[in-house]
Amino acid sequence: MAQSTVRDEPRDQTAASRPWQVAAEQLSNTASGLDWLTERRTAALVRADCLGLPDQSQEEWRYTSLTPFARRWLDHLAGARLPAVPEPVPPTLAGVFSVDIVDGRLCAPLLATPPGLTIQSLQNLGAEWRTRVEALLGSVVSPTDTSASDSLVDLNTALLTDVVLVTTEPGASVAMPIHIRLQATAASALCQTRLLVDLAAGSRLTLSLEFTGTAAVLVNAVSQMCLGRDSELNLVRVQALPDDGMLLESTSIEAKDSAAVTVTSVDLGGQLSRQSLTVRLAGTGASATVHGLFLADGQRHIDNRTRLQHEAPSTTSREFFRGIAADRGHGVFSGKIIVQPGAAGSNAALTNRNLLLTTTAEIDTKPELEIYVDDVRCSHGATTGQLDANALFYLQSRGLDLSTARQVLTAAFLRDSLTGIPLPELRERLEARLESRLQAQSGAAR
Amino acid sequence: MSTLLEVSGLRVAVGGKEILTGLDLVVRPGEVHAIMGPNGSGKSTLAHVLSGRDGYVVTGGSVSYQGLDLLAMAPEERARAGLFLGFQYPVEIPGVSNVYLLRSALNARRSARGESEIDAAGFLRLVKARARLMQMDESFLQRGVNEGFSGGEKKRNEIFQMAVLEPVLAILDETDSGLDIDALKIVSNGVNSLRDPARAFILVTHYQRLLDYIRPDFVHVLAGGRIIRTGDHTLALELEADGYEQILAAAST
Repeated sequence: MAQSTVRDEPRDQTAASRPWQVAAEQLSNTASGLDWLTERRTAALVRADCLGLPDQSQEEWRYTSLTPFARRWLDHLAGARLPAVPEPVPPTLAGVFSVDIVDGRLCAPLLATPPGLTIQSLQNLGAEWRTRVEALLGSVVSPTDTSASDSLVDLNTALLTDVVLVTTEPGASVAMPIHIRLQATAASALCQTRLLVDLAAGSRLTLSLEFTGTAAVLVNAVSQMCLGRDSELNLVRVQALPDDGMLLESTSIEAKDSAAVTVTSVDLGGQLSRQSLTVRLAGTGASATVHGLFLADGQRHIDNRTRLQHEAPSTTSREFFRGIAADRGHGVFSGKIIVQPGAAGSNAALTNRNLLLTTTAEIDTKPELEIYVDDVRCSHGATTGQLDANALFYLQSRGLDLSTARQVLTAAFLRDSLTGIPLPELRERLEARLESRLQAQSGAAR
Repeated sequence: MSTLLEVSGLRVAVGGKEILTGLDLVVRPGEVHAIMGPNGSGKSTLAHVLSGRDGYVVTGGSVSYQGLDLLAMAPEERARAGLFLGFQYPVEIPGVSNVYLLRSALNARRSARGESEIDAAGFLRLVKARARLMQMDESFLQRGVNEGFSGGEKKRNEIFQMAVLEPVLAILDETDSGLDIDALKIVSNGVNSLRDPARAFILVTHYQRLLDYIRPDFVHVLAGGRIIRTGDHTLALELEADGYEQILAAAST
């Protein structure tokens, strides 16, 4: 594949604040786009250009600076091109249907998908789905603020290399979990992944997304999921990028009448990781359960922003988010529950518990409630602290040394968040990885 | 017979206030000692200091355990040397199962003695037998340590742990508090079944009730941070009949 030439433009302040223009031009030089997509791209680029990258003057981005991200991105611009369709990688988990998205592109060929499930990409998009995809790509809705546009989503639309669409048939219960590995390789520039999930009424799906990559990758991922009436989605999302990887992720989920979504989110890698998760409970009786866990050790900066929006009557949300920070790690959690005027009889609870393993680590937490209707039950709370001294002494009094006792308690703290993961092999692997990292922790603390 | 534990002139302060003011106690293998006394007399302080809890400053005296300087040992070293503390308020540890804790504790002890890890089958046989002894359902084994246990279940779990770990010296801090009569019998039965010529117990208790079921060799009355009177099990009955005030009054004259 021909390497596109690096544009010899001065990287002045203007270029630094609008790097996507350069990237988009390079992409359009190399990629033969679909016409309708080109229109979407252009519109998105204009919007992104007006907005600029988010900065810390915005409340949503108060604790996370994209400066290191933007700076590194400029260095990557030379590589902006449409990557080749990658080769499939052997599955790493048994008992799941593995799908690989490498540098934003769906790996071909897919083996026969489980009954009731279809996975498409731009290459083979069925005509009946085009309007839907077009509408979703044209959506200007921000995952963090449903009334505003979002430059990261627009950026993704402007620069995406593929769109992967996962759909179910009405009433289908897809028995086998779908494991999507989203891999970024150093060869790509800013890697844009775009995932659309559409569950038909009454269908059920277990879906896990695992972000991995080679050194120093930059990923901007956007996922839009729509749950039809009475459908159920069990979503697992794992961020396991290399230590110098960066991920910006925007996920929005919409649940129609009586649909139920369970999300388990785990962050254990990356240098900078920011997830925006919005769940809109848009239909009567819809429900959401969110379990989150992050381990911000080393120099990691992990920012999770969740927004559970009750828009319809009798909707339910439960959120349990846990964070551990150590070394010079920085964790951020902002969780907002919004109960809109039409959401009478709703029930929401949000708990955030954080553990600081060293005094040099930092966790900022901000649970918020916004309630616009009387007849609701809502609660929220957040704690940040160290390991319980009584529990530590209890374990020591049984013969465990202090560093083992610390490890055992920390592992117990995080294991609690993983119990809901419906893929046993993935769960065990995550437990083992997290625990070995904590072992390194307590070894260093001694 | 040799001395297992010798406490001499022990003085301990908490937050600048002296709680133990020169305590002497000698425990030999096979003996059961009851330490009784009014609230605030220093009973729990003694139990905590012997087990190595933080926050207690030893300002004088010494404690020798199996000829070792106990006060110089970390809590886990004491445990590995056969000391066991039954907590007055056992801690709930969600996410750490009972069996996991016990296997870790047993193996820590074995490795300190230079022994290999216990084999899985042998371990399972041991814990199941001990669970039966304490009339605990086997499902308790897989549950988080004391997680969601009632007060009585927590105390039973303490004795169950003791039965698995087979300590040389067990210090039971107010194990009888919060127990109904059935649980008290089960707990006492557990302790009695572990009585052994090589093993000693220190029962810290406010009430005589426990001693109806576990007959001590010695009863000590602790007041003002020292042992002011020592007798056999009949002293506990006397305390029950007359209350602490008379003995305190007699001691102060």
